[in-house]
Amino acid sequence: MNRLWKEFSKGLWKDLPPFKLVLGLCPVLAVTNTADNGLGMGIAVVFVLTLSNLVVSLIRSIIPPKVRIVCFIAISASLVVAVELLMQAYAYPLYQQLGIFVPLIVVNCIILGRAEAFAFKNPPLLAIADGLGMGIGFTMSLTFLGGLRELLGKGQLFGADVTWQGFEPLGFMVEAPGAFVSLGVLLAIMNFAENVQRRRKGLKAVEGPTHDCGSCGGCSSASNC
Amino acid sequence: MKPFNPFSLTVSVPPHRHCGVTVRSRMLIILLAMVPAAAMAVTQYGIAGFRVMALSMATAVLTEIVCDKFMGRESQISDLHAMFVGLAFAFLLPASAPWWLVTIGSASSIILGKMMFGGLGGSPFCAPLIGWALCRISWPAFMDIDATMLTMDLVYPLAQLKNFGLQAVTATDAQALFLGKQLGGLGVVQIAGVLMGGLVLVMRKHISSIIPVGVIAGVIITAGLFNMIDPEVYAPPVFHLLTGSTIFGAFFLATDGPSSPNRQIPMLLFGMLVGIMIIIIRVYGIYPDGVPFAILLANLFTPVFERIRPRSFGKR
Repeated sequence: MNRLWKEFSKGLWKDLPPFKLVLGLCPVLAVTNTADNGLGMGIAVVFVLTLSNLVVSLIRSIIPPKVRIVCFIAISASLVVAVELLMQAYAYPLYQQLGIFVPLIVVNCIILGRAEAFAFKNPPLLAIADGLGMGIGFTMSLTFLGGLRELLGKGQLFGADVTWQGFEPLGFMVEAPGAFVSLGVLLAIMNFAENVQRRRKGLKAVEGPTHDCGSCGGCSSASNC
Repeated sequence: MKPFNPFSLTVSVPPHRHCGVTVRSRMLIILLAMVPAAAMAVTQYGIAGFRVMALSMATAVLTEIVCDKFMGRESQISDLHAMFVGLAFAFLLPASAPWWLVTIGSASSIILGKMMFGGLGGSPFCAPLIGWALCRISWPAFMDIDATMLTMDLVYPLAQLKNFGLQAVTATDAQALFLGKQLGGLGVVQIAGVLMGGLVLVMRKHISSIIPVGVIAGVIITAGLFNMIDPEVYAPPVFHLLTGSTIFGAFFLATDGPSSPNRQIPMLLFGMLVGIMIIIIRVYGIYPDGVPFAILLANLFTPVFERIRPRSFGKR
C-alpha cells in the first residue's frame, strides 16, 4: 500500500509531468487557452495513460524488447481511438475544440515515457497507480495553466465572468505566444521556488527543473540533484 | 639615478586604452537625441503626452530594479538603458493610452524583452517592440490611434490609406507631415525632431549610418516599385517615409545594438529587409503601420545575416 501511494503521489508534485519532467508540452501549449479545454484534454490523457500502463504492464513478459516501442504505440493508438469515439458520442463540443490534439495523444511523450520507464518494468497495480498519478498531475497542470490563461486573456474562468467591470483582458494570453510565455514564466517560478526551498535546506541551488528519475547511479550529474 | 620601481612593469588586464565611451554615456546621448521629438510631442499633445512618457520611463526603471532583485544581479539601472526602453516604448503609443496599458506594456518590455534574456546585450529583440507587440495584440481598441484620438483635428494618414485607399488620404502635404501634423505614435510622428536626433547620433558615430540608410533605401525602392505599378493605388515613397514610425524605427529601433548585425554587409541587408517588410506589411498586412513587426521579424534574421563574415586568414 505504501509503495502504491508513493508511485501515485509522485506524479502529483514531485514529478509533475509538464513542469518537473517537462514532458507532453505539445497539448500543454496548444489546448490550454481555456480551463475547460485543459480539463477535458487532461481527462482524456488520464484515461489513455492509466489503461495503456495497465495493458503494457500485463503483457510486458510477452513483448519482445526489440519491438516494444511499436507495441506501446499500437496499444496507446487503440486506446486513443476509443477515447476519440467516446468524446464524439458524449462530449462533441469539447471534441471540436480539441480537434487534432485528441488523436495526437498517441504520440504524447508522457504515454510512451511512462510505458517505457515504468509500466514495462513493474506489476499492473503499481503501473495503474503511476498512470493515475501522472495523469491527474497532468490534468491539474493543464487546468491550472488553462485557467490562468483564460482568466488573464478573457477575464473568465470555466466560461463564467469572474473579473470586475472595466477589466480589459490581456488578449495576448489566449493566443499562441501567450502559451509559450505563460509556460516559461510558470517554469521559472517553479525553479525559483525550488531553489528557495533548497537553500533553506542548505543544499546547492540548481539550474533547470529537478525530478527523481531513479537512475542516480549511472548519471553524471547526480551530484546536482 | 632614480631607484627602479618594480611596479612599473606590472601589466593590468586589457584593454589598456579606451576612448572613454561607456554604456551610460551612449545611452545618455541617445536619450538626448530623443529629446527634440519628445519636446515636439509635448507641445502637440500637452500634458497627456508628457504623462505617457514619464509613466513609461518610471515603470521601466522600477521593473528593472525589481527584476535585478529577484534574479540576484547587481543593479545596472545607472546605465540608463531602462530609461531608453521606457521612452522608446512611450514614443510608439497613442497619447491617449490609459495608464494600465502604459504600465503593463513598459514592464513587459523590460521583463520579456530584456531581463528574461539576461539583461542588456542578451536580447535577440529590440526591447520596446516586445511591449508594443504585446499591447497591440492584447488591446487593439486602445492601441488604435485613429479611434482613440477622435478629439484631435489631425488625421492618421496610414489608417486612411489602409482602410479607404490612397484617394481618401487628406494629409498629403509633405511639409506638414514632416513637422508632425499627423496622428500616429506619440513621438514617432514628430519626423523633424526624430530625424534631427537620428542625424546627431549618426554624425557623432554613436550608431552606424548603414542600417538607417538600408531601411530608408528599402522603403524607397519597394514603395517606388509599387508606386510605379499603379500610382493610383499605391502611395509614393515620400509618403511612407514621412508617416508612421519609419524614421524612428530606422534610426533608433533597428540600430539597437544586440539585436542587429554588426558588420557592414549584414547591416545593409538587415536594413533593407526592414525597409522592404515595412512596405509589404503596409500594403498587404492588416496593420496600418508595419514598422514594429518589420523590425521584430528582421531581428529574428540577425543570426542568419551574421553568418556572412570574412574567411579566416589562411583558411580555404
